[in-house]
Amino acid sequence: MKTVWFHLMPYPELPDDFTSEHRSVWVDIDPKLFDPAVGHRMYNDYIDELEFAAKVGFDGVGINEHHSNAYGLMPSPNLIAAALARTCPDAALVVLGDSVALYNPPIRVAEEFAMLDCISGGRLVAGFPVGTPMDTLYAYGNNPATLRERYHEGIELILRAWTSDEVFAFNGKYSKSRYVNCWPRPVQDPHPPVWIPGGGSIDTWEWCAQTGYSYLYLSYFGYKAALSTMRGFWNRVEAAGRPRNPYQAGFAQFFGVADSEKEAIELYREPAEYFFNRCLHVYPGFADPPGYKTLQTVRNGAEGMVERAAREASERAEQAAKKAARKAAQQSFSAASHMTFEQMVEKGYVIVGSPDQVAEKTVEMATDLNIGHVMSLCHFGNMNRDLAMHNTELMATKVLPQISHLWDDQWEDHWWPRPLTDRVR
Amino acid sequence: MAATPDGPGSMTLDSWRAGSLEIFRVGRGPRIGYLHGMVPVTSDEAFVTCLAEQGREVVAPCLPGYGGTSTSRDLRTMHDWVAATSEIIDVAGLNGAPMVASSVGAMLALELASIRPEAFSHLVLIGPIGLWRDDCPVTDPFSTTLSGQRNLLTNDPGLTASFYDGAAGEDPVVATIQRYTARTATASLVWPIPDFGLSQRIHRVSCPVTLIWGADDRIVPPVYADFFAESLSELRSVHLIEGAGHLAEWDAPARVAEIVTEALRES
Repeated sequence: MKTVWFHLMPYPELPDDFTSEHRSVWVDIDPKLFDPAVGHRMYNDYIDELEFAAKVGFDGVGINEHHSNAYGLMPSPNLIAAALARTCPDAALVVLGDSVALYNPPIRVAEEFAMLDCISGGRLVAGFPVGTPMDTLYAYGNNPATLRERYHEGIELILRAWTSDEVFAFNGKYSKSRYVNCWPRPVQDPHPPVWIPGGGSIDTWEWCAQTGYSYLYLSYFGYKAALSTMRGFWNRVEAAGRPRNPYQAGFAQFFGVADSEKEAIELYREPAEYFFNRCLHVYPGFADPPGYKTLQTVRNGAEGMVERAAREASERAEQAAKKAARKAAQQSFSAASHMTFEQMVEKGYVIVGSPDQVAEKTVEMATDLNIGHVMSLCHFGNMNRDLAMHNTELMATKVLPQISHLWDDQWEDHWWPRPLTDRVR
Repeated sequence: MAATPDGPGSMTLDSWRAGSLEIFRVGRGPRIGYLHGMVPVTSDEAFVTCLAEQGREVVAPCLPGYGGTSTSRDLRTMHDWVAATSEIIDVAGLNGAPMVASSVGAMLALELASIRPEAFSHLVLIGPIGLWRDDCPVTDPFSTTLSGQRNLLTNDPGLTASFYDGAAGEDPVVATIQRYTARTATASLVWPIPDFGLSQRIHRVSCPVTLIWGADDRIVPPVYADFFAESLSELRSVHLIEGAGHLAEWDAPARVAEIVTEALRES
């Protein structure tokens, strides 16, 4: 199993009254809350942490893209990846990724990813998320009616740009270029492995199952709540006639490791509560703009509601409705924002404990979800640099040795970078 | 080519742009068109009934994505939308007829009239979208919850129940998908800022224009009536409807129908 040290880069100094005085951490968060001096320290600390993770033995370092977002301060993950490509000489660079529809033309993604693959000697994982509504539609003004078509067309252009041996004309609906000619070209042949981060959409599973791309479920709500989603994904993979190779899937998980469970709870309570109770304070009006979901997803949701309504009518309607509401609340951003740390641990949002306890739960998680790539969130919320590194070091030295063997003798990772053997760095 | 049904009712053209086009026809008398706003028209919409009772044959097509008219991924730009609207006006037999148009429908009518001035003999526009002032921005109707969106449209949210809650006897799954498709069509017309350059073309509108505005319009503030009035050389009159929201023809159907009749009589 491969473990990637994944950073969201949250702003660490949101005020205590943030959730009562501000309506959202995303899109229309007050610009005056950002202190550039904090930003200076924060970015350098966070890059230090990523470099440290690579140094102590994580298989990869991971970053992603968000906009107008105080819990995800990487509008340009490629900038961070460029720095890491030089200072993390052996780790995979997992960029999760560039929100293709936001790049005009998307050939820019092909070029920058090719640069990263060249600089790193072929260590890039190319992530292509659709992007959240908050990022793509509200912050960047894409039209929801055309976002997904633009996204898929962009990926088609990028892959052709990487693999075509000739200059070609691309006459897309959204991108038109008379001369597509990607210089530089990626080291990896035919191109870096493609991972598709998603939030549980059936369309995304289906697409990954059909194309063979690796599906990465980026949930913040723990492995216990992810079981049904990942079972759905694997059903689609099997239906497509593909093997259940766990490396075709990954999952993001928060970790807090200490010498004992008691100490772990003491250490990680504050940063976890900061993240879940403050950073996920997203205004619900940004969550579901029309057009963002595919009609198939809308249909599935509507049919589920109808089936649920019928079941509730014949059973104990009131009790079932409350249960459904609780379940929905568990999976919504704003809903997480009033939980205690104990509840977060109990629900599996955060795996905390001694190294042995964390290793045991991680193996359980990876086995239950059938995943080969763990996106390990060892920094979260307002965790300081020292604690992040402490957590990272314990994870690397005492947990990874207990879990990295998983799947080794059963499956080959076809979705991991294949770097040059004679790299200069 | 006029393809409206021979008598009152609705018809669906199954071969329109590889999909379907739904057109309602209500009442008898001189023909008048109606282009709906953010909520699709139905044959029993109160405003359509009121207009028909004024002695009019109301021909009301559903725009792409609304009601029984197919959605289309090919509608990517305002140019695409105007081309489709132009085609619908012809197919519905509305070329050269007077037209009542609301909200996004009014934006499309103005866009069409600016490049095809002979398309309408008179335009009655209810809360048109299409201009933008930085000091008085048009509200983003989609940065709120579904119930919030509903509350933005009319003063009485109960008036749009058939759209938001589904009509009696309607398949809830079908209703959900139709509602989502219609809202997506609206989003494609207003996202992120509903200014597609109309201000550069609106001077080409040469037919008489009557403006109607809900005094409580929470999407396009009533002050926009002045901005449109400044740009329309053939403006006949401006009417502010007290107690009405953005879709004034839903909040005050009889009053708006009276204004339409009066405006056309004077025209």
